[in-house]
Amino acid sequence: MRSQLSFAGFAWKNLWRRRLRTLLTLFGIGMAIGAFVALVGFSRSFEHEWQRLYSSSGTDIAVVDKNFMNSSVNQALQGKLRAVPVVAQADPMIFNILDITPDVNAIVFGWLDDSYEFDSLTFSSGGRFHNGKPEIIVGELLAKNLNKKVGDTVELQGGTFTIVGVFHGGTALEVGALIMPIDQLQQISSLQGKVSGFHVRLKPAPAGESPEHYMKRAQKEIEAALPGLNAQGAADRAANNQFVTLAHAVAWGTSCIALLMGILGIANTMAMSVFERTREIGILRAIGWKAWRVLLLIQVEATVLGFVGGILGILIGWGALHLLSTLPQTASVVSASFSPLHFVEALGISLLSGLVAGAYPAWRGAHLSPVEALRHD
Amino acid sequence: MTSPQLEVRNLRKSYDDGRIEALRGVSLTIDAGEYVAISGASGSGKSTLLQLLGGLDVPTSGEVLFENAILGTAIHLDEYRAHRIGFIFQAFYLLPTLRAIENVQVPMLALNGNGNNRAARAEALLRELGLEHRLNQYPNELSAGERQRVAIARALANNPSILLADEPTGNLDSVNSARIMEILTGIQKKRGMTLIIVTHENDIANAAPRHVRIRDGKVEA
Repeated sequence: MRSQLSFAGFAWKNLWRRRLRTLLTLFGIGMAIGAFVALVGFSRSFEHEWQRLYSSSGTDIAVVDKNFMNSSVNQALQGKLRAVPVVAQADPMIFNILDITPDVNAIVFGWLDDSYEFDSLTFSSGGRFHNGKPEIIVGELLAKNLNKKVGDTVELQGGTFTIVGVFHGGTALEVGALIMPIDQLQQISSLQGKVSGFHVRLKPAPAGESPEHYMKRAQKEIEAALPGLNAQGAADRAANNQFVTLAHAVAWGTSCIALLMGILGIANTMAMSVFERTREIGILRAIGWKAWRVLLLIQVEATVLGFVGGILGILIGWGALHLLSTLPQTASVVSASFSPLHFVEALGISLLSGLVAGAYPAWRGAHLSPVEALRHD
Repeated sequence: MTSPQLEVRNLRKSYDDGRIEALRGVSLTIDAGEYVAISGASGSGKSTLLQLLGGLDVPTSGEVLFENAILGTAIHLDEYRAHRIGFIFQAFYLLPTLRAIENVQVPMLALNGNGNNRAARAEALLRELGLEHRLNQYPNELSAGERQRVAIARALANNPSILLADEPTGNLDSVNSARIMEILTGIQKKRGMTLIIVTHENDIANAAPRHVRIRDGKVEA
């Protein structure tokens, strides 16, 4: 069989001559892309669960404090809110995160016992709690992690609460969550009379008015009735609440640092490779290779490192996301979903990393004088 | 009267900010199909002259003309090296990660073209040089003589009109030296190519139809 040499094959042979260095570089960029996939995937999954949380309960608008990250709103405003003509239902809610045990933390919701948000839950055992009583309901995932069932008790902030229901369905945020009477949560968090906000279901849009226009009008009417508060569309609230924004910022920040390390790893490998192959580059130039072709060869090698490292990183990140979705500490806020867009982004970033990392070594290699390069030992 | 294939006009090359003068006003002409040996002592400037003839470097002053066109001005040096010149080096300079047949294909990658055709041409050249049984060997699996034959095949890959050989037998024993010289002169005759050999071996230099002696950067009268 006659051995054909292609440009890409030549690039691959150059990389494979230093197997260990190439593998270590691939592992480095793979870890960086893996961190991006896992962290950004985690934060997006968190956002996605928020969106599902609102959509599954039928919430159209969240009314929250305008300025504070931990929104704190006077519960007594519920009456005013319900009086706004476009509002069909408006229920107060508290959102918090608590360490249930040293190993298990959970999102804790405080609801009224007649909240419309119960509509999205299906009880596998027991039923609703009652206002004013130390009762809680827990999602199936949390019940499993805590090894608890209806009738068992849970210690929270010095109080003892009885599990009266276990539910399934809903979102990862709910099946891993604990829900209790809003007055009980106010009591253990010393926030009597305060709530995180109100969730609102709107009346159906009048005939002839577009849903978008109706939503904007409803937001304006609510904000006019409750000055100082912010009426956010549910999708907007899911994407832009401070928890999600913070999760995105941390994920991107950490990923960027990891990617920078990965890029430096490829750049180091390529710079070493160009230095070691100085004479070979001289030979290529002597036998007719133009400077741009040498540049292209080195860039292809760097991009191959980025691409293969990216594939490795996607597998690592995907595995990490799956792991996170099963760990008790994180299962309540993340699902193992992995969107095609995230895949394309990760691959794009890995290719770009290769290109950026290879730019200087490629430029240097391409601009070597053939004679100087041939003299290099 | 036909014009020379290569013409060198008052060529000077200095290094280290002019402190070292490798060539001090060399002028000569070489016709197409000529076989020229350039000899001289170490440091005489013969390899520098070969590099300038091959477009590997640019002169400090003076000019090199290929078919009346000034190198680096009328002809781009990369194009000149890719299409017109085949280089053969003393140390062979084969790429260690590539098989013999792949090494011969490397210059052809500079001209694009079909992969099958490249491989077929590489195989044909290696067969012509008696290496049909060594096509898939790596350089470190070949003898010195075989490596130089692969290097000659590589130099012929793009069908150049000029072969430039810098001490092509410098790393070979006498038997292999004779064999390589036989091959080079055979190719020169068969293909009508211009062959310019830089050597410090008198036997090789004196065997060439034309012998140019370089001393202290100048052509000896």
